[in-house]
Amino acid sequence: MTKVAVVGGGLFRPDRVRYEVAEEGVAEAYRMLLEEVPELDPRDIEFVQCSYFSDHLNQQLCMSWIVQDYIGHHRKPGYRVEAGGSTPLDALINAYFLIKSGEYDLILVVGWEWMSEVDTATTNEFIAAASDTDWDFTVGGYYNGYYAALEVRHMQLYGETVEDLGRLAVRNRNNAVHNPYSQWRSEHGTSYVTLDDYFKDRIVAWPYRRWNCALISEGAAVLLLASEKVARKYSDAPMWIEGVGLGTDSMRPGDRLVDWPYKGAYPEDEERYPSFVERPLTPYPEMANFGFAREAARQAYRRAGITHPVRELDLAELFAPYDGVELCLYEDLLWCPRGEGKTMVREGTVMRGGELPCQLSGGLTAFAHPVGATSLLQTLFLYWELAERIPEKFGDPKLQVSGAEKALLTGHGGTGCQGGVIVFSR
Amino acid sequence: MGEREKVVEDRVLEVLREWEEYARRGNWRPRGYRIIRGPAGNTKVGEEREEEFMVVYRPHGVLYHHSLGKVSKFFRGLIEGKLYGTRCPRCGTVYCPARAHCWNPSCKAQPTEWVELPPSGKVHTFSIMLFSAEAFLEHLPFVLGYVQIDGAHTALPIQILTSPTHVWVGQRVRIKFREERKGELMDIYAVPVPGQEPPKWSCLHADAKAMEDLRRDLEKTYEFLQERFGITREMVMKRWEAPGE
Ligand SMILES: [Zn+2]
Repeated sequence: MTKVAVVGGGLFRPDRVRYEVAEEGVAEAYRMLLEEVPELDPRDIEFVQCSYFSDHLNQQLCMSWIVQDYIGHHRKPGYRVEAGGSTPLDALINAYFLIKSGEYDLILVVGWEWMSEVDTATTNEFIAAASDTDWDFTVGGYYNGYYAALEVRHMQLYGETVEDLGRLAVRNRNNAVHNPYSQWRSEHGTSYVTLDDYFKDRIVAWPYRRWNCALISEGAAVLLLASEKVARKYSDAPMWIEGVGLGTDSMRPGDRLVDWPYKGAYPEDEERYPSFVERPLTPYPEMANFGFAREAARQAYRRAGITHPVRELDLAELFAPYDGVELCLYEDLLWCPRGEGKTMVREGTVMRGGELPCQLSGGLTAFAHPVGATSLLQTLFLYWELAERIPEKFGDPKLQVSGAEKALLTGHGGTGCQGGVIVFSR
Repeated sequence: MGEREKVVEDRVLEVLREWEEYARRGNWRPRGYRIIRGPAGNTKVGEEREEEFMVVYRPHGVLYHHSLGKVSKFFRGLIEGKLYGTRCPRCGTVYCPARAHCWNPSCKAQPTEWVELPPSGKVHTFSIMLFSAEAFLEHLPFVLGYVQIDGAHTALPIQILTSPTHVWVGQRVRIKFREERKGELMDIYAVPVPGQEPPKWSCLHADAKAMEDLRRDLEKTYEFLQERFGITREMVMKRWEAPGE
């Protein structure tokens, strides 16, 4: 079976509000790709894989039809996938499968989200419609509340502190100031922030402050995916997809106390469940960890031949709409034993210059989070990293991991209801 | 409504009249516009140029009628002041939130049976909301809890009426019913069983700085409530006085 590579991409710079509309933003991102890859004849693209999350945000169904014809790719096969925050990752993985199957050699993956056409409270409400609207939605926490509750559970079981959450918030901002496409830089300029600054920021849903929460963004990204047969025609530095994995968990996080399909699947994690709290029927992942990520990571590592992820991976872009998610993911991605996520922060492993730096782009809380484009933006960032083109692209070498060869991307939707992992290599 | 259905109980006529108006007004037709001169172009931060855009304002009003399906009994129970869950006759799992079919793969989508649950439980986890979406602003500051009802194996999302600094994992709570009920989870709330102290390991209470910061930011929430709704701190604290029995 053929290998699959990312061979180019472009973005339409995300910001809180963009007055160009989605199809125009996509067209600009697509132009960036075409300028980058002069060898690309649009007629060579065989399939257009579209990615956007919400039909509510723009009073428009089937937006992908508008976008696909706007950039002149109608007549060709193409469709949209949708799964909340997992949308762009699923689009990427879907395109990978389509090429892997031998059906297509060249696919354009297109993602976008325009999230400021309604007021902020309504945007949050529309996003929260991705939770169970008969149950979780009705008590008013929405995602800030759900994720804060998940983090409280993990914090209680495994002892990270608000200071650990602060360190991640500060790291993301101090990375984003070096990213000239980041929303943080657009709104706050290029000064570094400190932990003291973090502690002055407002608490929205304890233990989370505003800085711990994902941004609301409008923006777009496109990626060109190619089979081994044609990849070198478009890129001197293709980024190969070495392995992918997918996983799911329950819709309602409260149901994970009796998460039957996970029963007994991860005995070591069940063993590391502390004894001072009552033990649910299924101790892993329950509300403290992300089972989908464990499932996805195991598949992706097996396919990519990864046995020691922290040693073998050079950097990672995680889907952490709230900072505590990262601490859990380190454990679920098998970077450390359950409960040791905090150690990776305290020892600097995941910081810039650490053994496995994460969110060098600034991540969802400081780069941007236009949902349907987010994982594509992160993938484009990794593509530039593995090609060692960050200095050229950003006009600033600070975020370049020198000699980076392998990178990990993970994405998910809901409260970890569905998601996946991709391992890339240069 | 077809011939085979009949309305058994109707608590919607007034709402229908009210929403007829919204549906007519909220029909997507542009009601106004703004011309906005704003940043444009696909550039790095700071290199944008300005352009003029026309922004139209389009409403959208809609009233859904949504069946609560085979778990309707749970929501009718709320109106009657009763708490129900479902139990799988094969594996014994008790669900609250209720499920009409067992999700245990070994049970092959076995239909479940209704069980009445006691109005008590314990906090599995929680978050303390100091800011929220529009519909819940007046409830601030509130605690969103995931409470495991006694006898159930899952956790139910529910608001906990308590001082926001008096909540922890494992806290025992009683479930209370509001006077006016609509058949939704906001019909009920939890209150801590009195006389409990947080355990030494409570993540909020063991971290003096976290607690101090929370208290400081709660002050800002009280200021906001006063300013926006005229809700005083005393009025907020009154909410937490519901007896816990
Ligand atoms: Zn069963």
